[in-house]
Amino acid sequence: MKKQEDQTVEEQEEPKHYSRRDMLKMSLLAGAGVAISASGIGAVTTMTNVFGETTKKSGSSAEKESVPFYGKHQAGIVTPQQTYAYLAAFDFTTNSKSDVIRLLKEWTVLSEYMSQGKAEQNFNNDWLPPKDTGEALDLPPSRLTMTFGFGPSFFSKKGIDRFGVKSKAPKHLRDIPAMPRDNLQEPFIGGDLCLQVCAEDQQVAFHAIRNFIKTAVGKAEVRWMQSGFISAKHGKTPRNLFGFKDGTANAGPKDTKAHNQTVWAGQGEPVWMHGGSYMAFRKIKMFLEVWDRSSLKDQEDTFGRKKESGAPYGKINEHDKVNPMQMPPDAHTAIAKRSGQQMYRRAYSYTDGVDSKTGYVDAGLMFISYQKNPDEQFVPMLKMMSKADKLNEYTQHIGSALFAVPRGIKKGEYIGQPLFSSF
Amino acid sequence: MKLSKSIIHTALTLSLITVPVISGCSNDAASSGEHKKASSSKKNELKSQVKEMQTSLHNLQDSLKDKNENQVKEYGKRLNKQWLSYENSIREKYPLLYTDTEKYLLPLYAEVTKDNYSSGKVQQLSVDLDRSLTNLEKAKETTQKTTEVLDTAVKKYKAYVDEQTEELVKSTAVFTDAVKANDTQKAKEAYAEARVYYERIEPIAESFGDLDPKIDARENDVEGEWTGFHRIEKALWKDGSIKNMKKYADQLDQDVAELQKKIQDVKLNPTQIVAGSMELLNEAAISKVTGEEERYSHIDLVDLASNVEGSQAVYHAVLPVLNEKNKDLAQDLDTEFNKITALLEEHKKSGAYLNYMKLTKPQVRELSQQLNTLSESMAQTAEIFQ
Repeated sequence: MKKQEDQTVEEQEEPKHYSRRDMLKMSLLAGAGVAISASGIGAVTTMTNVFGETTKKSGSSAEKESVPFYGKHQAGIVTPQQTYAYLAAFDFTTNSKSDVIRLLKEWTVLSEYMSQGKAEQNFNNDWLPPKDTGEALDLPPSRLTMTFGFGPSFFSKKGIDRFGVKSKAPKHLRDIPAMPRDNLQEPFIGGDLCLQVCAEDQQVAFHAIRNFIKTAVGKAEVRWMQSGFISAKHGKTPRNLFGFKDGTANAGPKDTKAHNQTVWAGQGEPVWMHGGSYMAFRKIKMFLEVWDRSSLKDQEDTFGRKKESGAPYGKINEHDKVNPMQMPPDAHTAIAKRSGQQMYRRAYSYTDGVDSKTGYVDAGLMFISYQKNPDEQFVPMLKMMSKADKLNEYTQHIGSALFAVPRGIKKGEYIGQPLFSSF
Repeated sequence: MKLSKSIIHTALTLSLITVPVISGCSNDAASSGEHKKASSSKKNELKSQVKEMQTSLHNLQDSLKDKNENQVKEYGKRLNKQWLSYENSIREKYPLLYTDTEKYLLPLYAEVTKDNYSSGKVQQLSVDLDRSLTNLEKAKETTQKTTEVLDTAVKKYKAYVDEQTEELVKSTAVFTDAVKANDTQKAKEAYAEARVYYERIEPIAESFGDLDPKIDARENDVEGEWTGFHRIEKALWKDGSIKNMKKYADQLDQDVAELQKKIQDVKLNPTQIVAGSMELLNEAAISKVTGEEERYSHIDLVDLASNVEGSQAVYHAVLPVLNEKNKDLAQDLDTEFNKITALLEEHKKSGAYLNYMKLTKPQVRELSQQLNTLSESMAQTAEIFQ
C-alpha cells in the first residue's frame, strides 16, 4: 500500500508546464472535445505543445513552478510556504451524499487543472457563461496548492449524520474548546469543510478560490473566507505584523522524520487519515497601534526573543536552543517551550481595512497549524497561552476552527474518496 | 432600472446562432419514433391522472356555486397535490401543455389559500384550467422540430409579455387615478399592484432606450427631470403628500401607453428572451434582494417575486427545447423555481409580501443564496442554442 503511494508521488514529479494561455490556444485548435470535459476524473491529457513554443520565460522561477496536486500527503501543508493564501470554510446546503460527492469530483478536476496553470473552457456555445472566470489565463501556475479538510459538523451536525460518514469520524476532531479570553465573532467559527489555497501570486490564488466557490453554488456556501500574505527572503523565517519571526521551530520541508513525528496522523485513526493531519485555525486580531508604541524591550520580553535576529533570550542565533529560564515566564516562546509540544505552523498575516468602531487598522494573524494530534499538541498549548501569554495584551482571538485533513489524493481518486467508499 | 447590456444588442447577433439551432434538431425524428411504443401505456396512465384532476376541479366549481369556502379550499389543495405528483411526467411529454396548465393552476391555488379569496377570480381561473386539462387529456406527444419549438416558445412568451403589458396599463391607471384624486391610501395599494407587471417584463421595457428611465428611474439615476413610479413613490411614502404629483401621474400614463404600443410591434427572438430571463434574475440579485429598488415603500419583495415570475415565464416558454437538450437541467430549474417560490411565500402575511425592512439579515441571505442557485442553473439554459 505504502509503496504504491510513493510511486504515485514519483510519477508526479515532473510536471509539464503549460500556461493557461497555451492551453486555451490548444483547446481552440483541437476543438471542444479535447481535454476539457468536466465530468471525468483525471481527464486532463498531457498534450504536446502544438506550437512547439517553450513556455514564456517571464516572472520569477517560483511563479512558473507547479506543485503536484496528487501525492501521498496533500500539498500545502509542509510545502514551503507561498506568499499568498485564501482560507475559506464552506457549509453544505444539501443533505444528499451524492451531491457532496459530485461537488468533490468537480473540485478534484478543477484542482488538477489549476495546479498546472490550466483552465477549463467551453468554446462551443457563445451564449453560455464561460466555465473558467478567466483572470488567471495569462498567469503561470505560481506554485498553487489546494488543501482540503473536513470539520466536525461534516460528520455529525446536531446529532444528524447527514452524509453517512459519522462512523468514519477521525479520533481527535472536535470544536476547539472555549478559551478564557476568546472573543469569537461569527461567521469565523467552524465550518463543514475548509479549503486552503496558497500561491506565489495573489491573483492566481483568488482565481482558484473564486472558481471553487462558483462550482459549489447550490450545494455548499461559503461560511467565511480570509485572505493573507507572508513574505520572506529565501531561506529566512517570515515575520508577522509585530515584526517577529513566526515558525522558527518548523522542521524543514524535507525533514520527513520530523513531519512523521509532528504532522502526519496515523495510528488509531481511520485509514483515510493515515498521512493526513489536523488543521487548527485561529483568527487573531493584533492591536498594531498599541504594539507600535510599546518599547523594544517590552516587545522582546513579550516574545522572549530578540526582534532583529530572532534569537531566543540568552542566545545568539535564531535557531539556538530555547531556554525558558532565560526569559520572562510569561513570554510567548517560554510558554510554547514549556508545553513540551511541537506543531507545524503555517500562519499568514491579514489586513481587513479599518475597524469602523475604533478607527484602528484591522489586522492580525491568520494562524494555521498542522498537527497529528490536536488534543495533545494544540489544545493544551492554546490553553496555557490564553491564560498566561504576555502576547494577550496585544491580541485577541476572534475566530476558531478545527478540520481533519485527509491523506493525499491519488490520481484517479477524488477528494475525500476513501471517506465515502465502503471499506 | 437598467442594469446591463441592452437587449437590442442581443438581437443583432441572432444570426450567429441560426446554424447551431438547425443542426441541433437532426436527430429528433429518429428518437421520437422510438419512444412511441413504450409510451402508449404511460399515455393511458396520464389520461386517468388528468381525469382525476378534472374531477377535483369540477368539485371545486360546484363548491364555489354552493359558496362552501372550506370545500373550495380543500379541492384547491387536492388539485395542487395531484398536480405535484404528476407534473414531472407531463412536463417531459407535453411541455407546452404543461406550462399552459401551470399558468392557471398556480394562481388558482394561490388564490384559494388566501384568507378571503375572490370567487370571481377562482371561477375564471377554474374555467381556464378546465380547458387546459381537456387539452392535456387529448394531447399527442410533440414531434416538432427544434426550430419550430423555438418559434413556438417565442410566440408563447410574446403572448405573455403582451398580456402583462395590458395588465400594466390597467393597473397603472388605477394607481394614477388614485394619485390624481389625492387618495394616498388607495394610491399606496395600487402602487404595489402596478409594479408587479412592470417588474415581470422589465428587460423588454429596457430595450426601448428612453422609456425605462422615464418610467422606472430612481432619484439621481437621470440627468433631466425625474419622472415615473419612483418619483411618486417618494411623494407617497417619504414626503407624505401627493398634491403635486398630478403631472407625473399623467406622464406615467402616457409613457406606459407608449410602452404598450412599442411592445405590440416588437419582434422577439429566442436568445433575446433567454438573455432577458437572466437580466431579470440579475436585477433581483443586485437591487431587489438588497432592498435598494423600493427605497421608500420597501415593497422590494413584490419586485423580487415579479422578477422571478418573469424569468419563470421564459423557462416555461423554452421548456420544450430544454427537455430535448438537457432534461436534468429542466428538472433542476423546476426544483429551484419551486424552492424560491416557497421561500418567498414564507414572507407573506395574509396574501401580501412583508415590508423589506421586516426581514432579518439571515432571511435576506437565504433569499440571496437561493436566487444565486437558481440563476446559476438558469444561466445554463443557453444550452438550447447549442
